[in-house]
Amino acid sequence: MNKTILAVDDSGSLRQMLSFSLKAAGYDVIEAVDGQDGLDKARMQTVDLVLTDQNMPGMDGLELIRALRKMKNYQNVPILMLTTESGDDIKAMGRAAGANGWLVKPFDPARLTEVVRKLIG
Amino acid sequence: MLADDPPSGDQLNARVRQLLAGMAAHGDRHLAEVERDLVQMDALLDEAIKKLCASFMAIHHAVEAQQQDLNAFQAHTLSLPDYAARVVSQRDEVARHVGDAVTGLQFQDMTSQLIGRMIQHLAGLREVFGALDTQGTVLPESGDRALLAMLDHISERVGMHCAALSVASRSTVNQRHMNSGDIELF
Repeated sequence: MNKTILAVDDSGSLRQMLSFSLKAAGYDVIEAVDGQDGLDKARMQTVDLVLTDQNMPGMDGLELIRALRKMKNYQNVPILMLTTESGDDIKAMGRAAGANGWLVKPFDPARLTEVVRKLIG
Repeated sequence: MLADDPPSGDQLNARVRQLLAGMAAHGDRHLAEVERDLVQMDALLDEAIKKLCASFMAIHHAVEAQQQDLNAFQAHTLSLPDYAARVVSQRDEVARHVGDAVTGLQFQDMTSQLIGRMIQHLAGLREVFGALDTQGTVLPESGDRALLAMLDHISERVGMHCAALSVASRSTVNQRHMNSGDIELF
């Protein structure tokens, strides 16, 4: 059975590229259009990894990560931030919120897949 | 000077200068940010299109080469082991070019964020001009004191918008190139 990844980003084209890359690598992908949608979908099904943008309308990435970490079934699920932001201060906030890694956009599909495989096989 | 003394010409001059300087500085900050974002967007788009064109041509050539190899195999001028090896090599090459295209196609996300920022700054400019609105205030005949008060009020509103700009102008897109970004595992 394929591992499942929740991809959260308010950009439709970005979600399309993520889905294309991760599905090509053998993963199932659930897409969410913003933080709240991501949280709702995470509640419906426990996924194997979460990949989230930071700057989204309503609930942003950091808020989503904090909400997920409060859920028992998401205590140990790897969560990666995929964002245009690269500042040390916001990375520190991500780490404090419970993120396991920080990827700066644009992503390279091969490198993304390598990181995901390292985390969930 | 007594409280009832009318404001001097110097006081009015100073207030007008202060207001105009505040307007110029605030408007300039907004426009400088818009200019910066436009330059950045131009650079990202240029790189993205170059990347996509290069990927398109490379994939096109790879597909042509695959077709030529298939023709050669069917014509028995290329052995099965050789054909299989070339198929594997071309598959890996195509995958690499598709990966480059995926990286290039992410320009829309970044330019969309930059456009969003520019729209915020233009809205900020509109607010600055809105601060000039006297809202139909009619000055009495000997209106110098009222004029002074109005200028003070307008300057204060411009100042408030300046302070708000400092909070709003943080850029979330600092990429200058469409090369893939860093990865850090905590």
